[in-house]
Amino acid sequence: MASAAVTLPRVMLASAALRVALLVFGEWQDAHLEVRYTDVDYLVFSDAAASVAAGGSPFARATYRYSPLLAYLLLPNTLVHPAWGKVLFSAADLLVGMFIDIILKLRGIPDRTRIWSVVAWLFNPFTFTIGTRGNCEPIVCAVILWILICLMNGAAFWYGLIVHFRIYPIIYAIPFVIVLGKSYAGPAGKPILTQWTSKQHLQSDKSSPSVEGATSSFTNLWSFLRSLVTRNTIMFGLLSGSMFFLWTGVFFYLYGWEFLNEALLYHLSRTDPRHNFSIYFYHIYLHHQQGFSSIQKLASFLPQLIVQLALIVRFSRDLPFCLFLQTVAFVAFNKVMTAQYFVWFFCLLPLILPWTTMKLNWKGLACILVWMGSQLHWLMWAYMLEFKGQNVFIQLWAAGLMFLAANIFVMLMVINHHRSTPLFSSSSVKFAGKVASKKE
Amino acid sequence: MAAGRWPWLLVVAWVSGVAAASSSSSSQTGSSQKFINCMPCSKRYVADAFDTFTSQLAQHRDLAETSDSADSCKGLDYDLGVPVLSELHRQLVGEGSHRRLVYHVKFVNCADAMVNFLDSNDANLVVIENLPNGVFADPFELQHFVERKVFLDVAVFGDTNLELPSALSNRSTVEIHVDLALSASMSCNLVIDLPLHARYPPLDASGYATVEFGSPDMLLRYRKKDTLPDSCSWLLKDHDATSVEKAVWRIPCGDEAHIGFVSSITFLSALVCSISIVIAALFF
Repeated sequence: MASAAVTLPRVMLASAALRVALLVFGEWQDAHLEVRYTDVDYLVFSDAAASVAAGGSPFARATYRYSPLLAYLLLPNTLVHPAWGKVLFSAADLLVGMFIDIILKLRGIPDRTRIWSVVAWLFNPFTFTIGTRGNCEPIVCAVILWILICLMNGAAFWYGLIVHFRIYPIIYAIPFVIVLGKSYAGPAGKPILTQWTSKQHLQSDKSSPSVEGATSSFTNLWSFLRSLVTRNTIMFGLLSGSMFFLWTGVFFYLYGWEFLNEALLYHLSRTDPRHNFSIYFYHIYLHHQQGFSSIQKLASFLPQLIVQLALIVRFSRDLPFCLFLQTVAFVAFNKVMTAQYFVWFFCLLPLILPWTTMKLNWKGLACILVWMGSQLHWLMWAYMLEFKGQNVFIQLWAAGLMFLAANIFVMLMVINHHRSTPLFSSSSVKFAGKVASKKE
Repeated sequence: MAAGRWPWLLVVAWVSGVAAASSSSSSQTGSSQKFINCMPCSKRYVADAFDTFTSQLAQHRDLAETSDSADSCKGLDYDLGVPVLSELHRQLVGEGSHRRLVYHVKFVNCADAMVNFLDSNDANLVVIENLPNGVFADPFELQHFVERKVFLDVAVFGDTNLELPSALSNRSTVEIHVDLALSASMSCNLVIDLPLHARYPPLDASGYATVEFGSPDMLLRYRKKDTLPDSCSWLLKDHDATSVEKAVWRIPCGDEAHIGFVSSITFLSALVCSISIVIAALFF
């Protein structure tokens, strides 16, 4: 294999070229074919930006359910060129690739492994089409990774901003606080990152994950809770909270309840009776005329809650791994699930690949095939319902259950093949010398 | 709950009512409709133009007397050799949740009469389709048709929420304006494509909900090219469209009998899956 020829600049250049080609192709397809390449939501963003450019509110465009910041970012769509937003999103997509490289470098991943992890993002067909079709998720991914990079200095600013922009990263609040709550400061006042080491070394170091397990026991609960209240966590909470309320306040002042309902409250209470990957869609459709009892609401919220808590309790010290599992679980158990949500965890996947013992053949391949296969199976029934007008609600719902099972299967496989490694070393002294020697 | 749509519903009811009355008095489709009305040029849409009248009207039959059309239309020249429809067909095309209503409109005496008429008049064909509950038109999608100059103008009145199921939404009406000059360039054969989308219907044991379209309203709207802005009025001539083919849309719907097992199996699988993750997380 000519892997020596695969360097970061070349990978970035090739993926930039691929995105430019897709942008050009997209413009061509939109002009010539019946089926558009451009995402429907991109038209919504663009209309909202045009409305802002004309001095109006972005919420004048029905179904615009994002922060006004997005419409501001896309003002050049009206003023310069309609493809501006796609270029911006694709640039964010490339930035995600760079951030993956930076994070893995900080964690001591050798060049070769790092490059292939970056490739897993930049050449993932799910992700390179998302940005070029005009979906805004790459921006969110880039900021989430940026937060990981500057977790100790200035992360709070970005975290408050991105939760305002897209609400789902709120699920990362507890693990962030847990990680910040432990005092990991090294000699330079910065936390010491655990460096990636060979498998053998980690096997002997297997005792470290159980530390996390111990914190979950009731005897240590009080000290665990106390460890969450530190100068770092309070500063993080105050700063990110202020950022969130500042942006939300400014836009509430500008656009009133329309902004609050569409961009924020809508996402919190969203239930969609129309078909989507979520296992709940048919249940919601069957009950849409009579409403939902509190028991039903609780029953659909409980699995989500216990999974999130279990993952946080067990994995929060291995922060990127925790965020990845939380995101997959959050999407899998959500009451609404569409393909654009997959980008939320695809951007975190390269950050955990170096620590997996799963080989592509055959377990890795099995995961990919099970996940893709169950998704294609669902898409087939959705096509029959939406484009052929056949009554296949039961089949589509069953396919949704199978897709959930596939997601759970992949999660279990990933958990079982992961070498748990805390992001920061708990003993500064023990690792300080090691990092210093590495740097030299 | 339907308060917001009363004004235009009344207008449409009135327009069709008068149209029906006028067509019954004419022996032949489109040959000599008596109903001619007018609206100020400042009003953009036909439904909009009559909005103000409707509040004072309890019953649409009073409209002919109470509307000031008789006054404001005085002195306007009706006898202009207005183009007459010779054929009108409507078809629902496509399958699934996204279909198109396609109108084929043909005018008589295309070669001479139409060209002469368009020399001295601006004229549009106005189609008003009163959509049944369960079907909607996306105003933003239609706006792109206007940008591409397929339609001269378009508006959707009534419930324009694009996401709600039928049970939680109201009806809507689409008004499309097409430049008649376009039809002249196509030898008086106009084809109008209206993209429509199905809402999720209420539950029914039969598995399919049937949505039926009523007759559309076809109006010709015209004015002299040399009209002064302050005294500008559009003249409206209604064409009988009651004879168009019925359009029926069968939309798959959920079955109430599924409620019990779908909900319980959904919750059970979510619970089993979440517990398996918890076990894997805490005990592996």
